[in-house]
Amino acid sequence: MPYTLIDHTADIGMRVNAHSIEGLFEEAAHALADILGGRSDEGDAEIIIETQGIDQVDLLVRWLQEILYLIEVKGLRLKASAILRLTDTQARGVVRGAYTGKPLTSEIKAVTYHNLDIAHIDNVFVTTIILDM
Amino acid sequence: MIALKLRRIDPFRIEIEKAPPMRTTGLIYANHAIERTLEHDNVLQQVANVATLPGIIGPSLAMPDIHWGYGFPIGGVAAFSKKDGIISPGGVGYDINCGVCCLLTGLRLDEVKPSLDKLLSSLFNNVPSGVGSSNKDLAVGNKEFSSVLENGARWAVKKGYAPHDDLDAHEDGGCIEGADPDAVSKKAIERGQPQLGTLGSGNHFLELDVVERVLENKTADHFGIFEGQVVIQVHTGSRGLGHQVCDDYVHEMLAAASRHRISLPDRQLACAPVTSKEGMEYFTAMASAANFAFANRELIVFLIRETFEHVFGGSFERLGMRMLYDCCHNIAKMERVMWEGSEVAVCIHRKGATRALPPGDKRLPQRFRKCGQPVLVPGDMGRASFIMVGAQGASETFYSACHGAGRLLSRHEAKKRSKGRQILEELRRKDIHAMAASRATLAEEIPEAYKDVSDVVDTMTGAGIAKAVARVKPFAMVKG
Repeated sequence: MPYTLIDHTADIGMRVNAHSIEGLFEEAAHALADILGGRSDEGDAEIIIETQGIDQVDLLVRWLQEILYLIEVKGLRLKASAILRLTDTQARGVVRGAYTGKPLTSEIKAVTYHNLDIAHIDNVFVTTIILDM
Repeated sequence: MIALKLRRIDPFRIEIEKAPPMRTTGLIYANHAIERTLEHDNVLQQVANVATLPGIIGPSLAMPDIHWGYGFPIGGVAAFSKKDGIISPGGVGYDINCGVCCLLTGLRLDEVKPSLDKLLSSLFNNVPSGVGSSNKDLAVGNKEFSSVLENGARWAVKKGYAPHDDLDAHEDGGCIEGADPDAVSKKAIERGQPQLGTLGSGNHFLELDVVERVLENKTADHFGIFEGQVVIQVHTGSRGLGHQVCDDYVHEMLAAASRHRISLPDRQLACAPVTSKEGMEYFTAMASAANFAFANRELIVFLIRETFEHVFGGSFERLGMRMLYDCCHNIAKMERVMWEGSEVAVCIHRKGATRALPPGDKRLPQRFRKCGQPVLVPGDMGRASFIMVGAQGASETFYSACHGAGRLLSRHEAKKRSKGRQILEELRRKDIHAMAASRATLAEEIPEAYKDVSDVVDTMTGAGIAKAVARVKPFAMVKG
């Protein structure tokens, strides 16, 4: 399982893992879209996301915040995502999907930085992200 | 992690002793029943984390409805010196000026009951609620929207959505001074503008209650509360606009904290000195979002008044629909407090807490000067809520009190416990009628997901922070 949901009293957490740091960003995007009910099996729309941050943890939050905005405000339903370039302070990625307008099932206020860290354990990248519901 | 050492001071207070790198102690308001709820999660560590931030005045405070948040705990209150303290977007939260208002009516439950089905379905249809809800009927253009952000509830009054009399019944007259719409990003405006006049989802609600018991006659008379009376509570905030403002500035503050050499135990506590450029920019954007929330609740009240007029006939004034109070739950405010014998200018953060001014406080409008400020304490959807009033003891919390019952179960756990149950039917058996945009919300909001609000109120009363004036019981509600 690339992600599992974890309990948080007021909100919700997602523990994500992947074999590469780029994969971690991509799986986190898919997990976020799943929670929102914002996935799609089809779609040709392609959006480039470029973010800057103080480190990769910051970049992960900014990447997810952009995807949250595209899903919630622009009506994108996510089919796939890929990180094209990732440094310590910059991320460039692409998201694909369709603007179907399909209603979402959850409202997420924000992707938080609460106790956020990216760990690299036994060749697996792991992070736990708290979403404000 | 800070090694925490707890010490019960009295039946209503627990201290977290100061330990490095804390700059001050933590102080949790909790009777023994509330204390047992604190074992569940990481909330005490969050109280201690806040105590590490620069310029904190007095203890890092936690109200009895405290629970695990992100960065600051929900139910947390902290005052930071304007001179050398900080302001933190995470200390306010994403739903800036999420708050509650209470609208009184002159109607008794037996007058409302015969029309309840029509009333509830009309409220459900007329007040947009649910995930991603928007309100095209109340849509405003860009210039008008700037006025909403600058003027809050005053905008709603100017546009004829509310009587002028409502403003006196708002914290800070329904407008946080210093708002600057230019400090709000285009993205925030894009997220929030279509959502003006909407309830949203999650724990946001519109609830009809009956005053079950008056607990303090004199203040109840002053407030205009009587047993059997129907009152209405609305709980919502700044919707997507506030969420985005917080998002934008937490990011800014991470870099600012590094520039100002502020050590953060949790990134979500990202902050900057109150008077720094970054600090002041955040404050002006936050004030704009807070004003959006004041206007948002006032527009929902407008829709409720219209609905009552339609169902019962006559004007809302004739139906006795008067605002008791509207207060902020998530806010940073510039206030002056007494500390160690001197008056100090502070930036006070209330995250899941409400202001509670006592009788005689000069900041109160004449209407409440003699009796004190109403403190609204919504409970869960199956038990009760309380209307309280600020008491003199609130000086020790910088005039802050609880904001509700406080969550006990995670959403996941609440859903697990709701599986196979008919929540609407369970409520109906208690004579509570609910309509919800989503079944998932109902499952997440089951009564046992919250602490017993009576324990919260008992703690606040015992500590002398606020006094209970009336207990109200829900009989109908719209959930997002």
